[in-house]
Amino acid sequence: MSLQTEFPPVAGSLRIGIVPLAGGSLRVTLAGRLDTHSYQELDAALAPLVHGQLQSLVLDLADLEYISSAGIRSIFKARKALGGHGGKVLLVNPQAQIQKVLDVVKAVPMHEIFVSTAEADAYLDAMQRKVLHADEDEDE
Amino acid sequence: MLIRLIVPGEIARVEDLNTSLEAVLTRHGIDAGVRGDVRLIVEELASNAIEYGGGGGADRGQHELSVDIGMDGDLLTLRFRDEGAPFDPLSAQTPDLEADILDRPIGGLGLYLIRQIAESMHYERTDDCNLLRVSLRVPTPENPQ
Repeated sequence: MSLQTEFPPVAGSLRIGIVPLAGGSLRVTLAGRLDTHSYQELDAALAPLVHGQLQSLVLDLADLEYISSAGIRSIFKARKALGGHGGKVLLVNPQAQIQKVLDVVKAVPMHEIFVSTAEADAYLDAMQRKVLHADEDEDE
Repeated sequence: MLIRLIVPGEIARVEDLNTSLEAVLTRHGIDAGVRGDVRLIVEELASNAIEYGGGGGADRGQHELSVDIGMDGDLLTLRFRDEGAPFDPLSAQTPDLEADILDRPIGGLGLYLIRQIAESMHYERTDDCNLLRVSLRVPTPENPQ
C-alpha cells in the first residue's frame, strides 16, 4: 500500500560526486542544497570514507547553492572524523550564500577555505611534500 | 502582504514552504542573496519550531506553521506563527563560537545565524501562539548592500 502525498518528496536536492585523488586524498563535489533535508545523505556518503588513511577531504562547493546549520554540522562531523588521525577537510569554491554562512558561524579557519581547486591542489602538494620531508628527517 | 502559507508542522513540509516562498520572491524581482537569506531563516525557524515546539504531544495534536511575507519600502518582513510550546528564539543563548561545533547545542547555531542575518526580530506570545517577526533589508539601486 502506498500513501499518495500532496507534494513530491524533497529527496534529491543534494547531488554528491566522489573522486579519488593522488596521495590519500579525496575530492567530493556537492551540488544543490545541503540542508535539513539532505545532510543525512552527505553523512551516509562520507561515513565509510573518512576513516583511517584518508589525509585530505576536499569538498568542492562550486555547484552548491545553499547551506544551513544542518549542513554546517555535517561538514564538522567529517572534519572531526578526519581530525582524529590528523586529516583535514578543505572547502573550495564556496558560493556567496555559503561563504556568508561560514563567515557568520566562524565554522572554518580561513586558511582551509580555497577559492579555487588549483589553490587547494597547491596546498595539498605542499602538505604532501612536508609529510615526505618529515619522513626523511626521521631517517636522519 | 505578498503571500501567506500554512503547512503541517513536519520537517518534510519545510521545503514546500521554501519552494513557494522562493517562487513568490523571484516573481517580485527579489535578488538571489535575499532569497537565500529567506530560505535560511524559514528552514532554521521552522525546523526549530517542529523539533522543539512539542507539537507531537497528544494533547496538542498536529500543529501547524503559518508564514507570511510582506514588503514595506526596502524592508521584507516574515511573520511566523505556530501553536507549539512557548519559545522565544531571541532569548536563546549565543553559542560559544570558539567551541567545537558538534559540542554546541543543536538549534543554537541556526538561531544565531538568523540573528546575525536579520535586520530586526520581534517575538511575542499571543493566544497560545508563538509569533515571530523577522525583517530583512532588501538592497535597492539607491542603497546597495
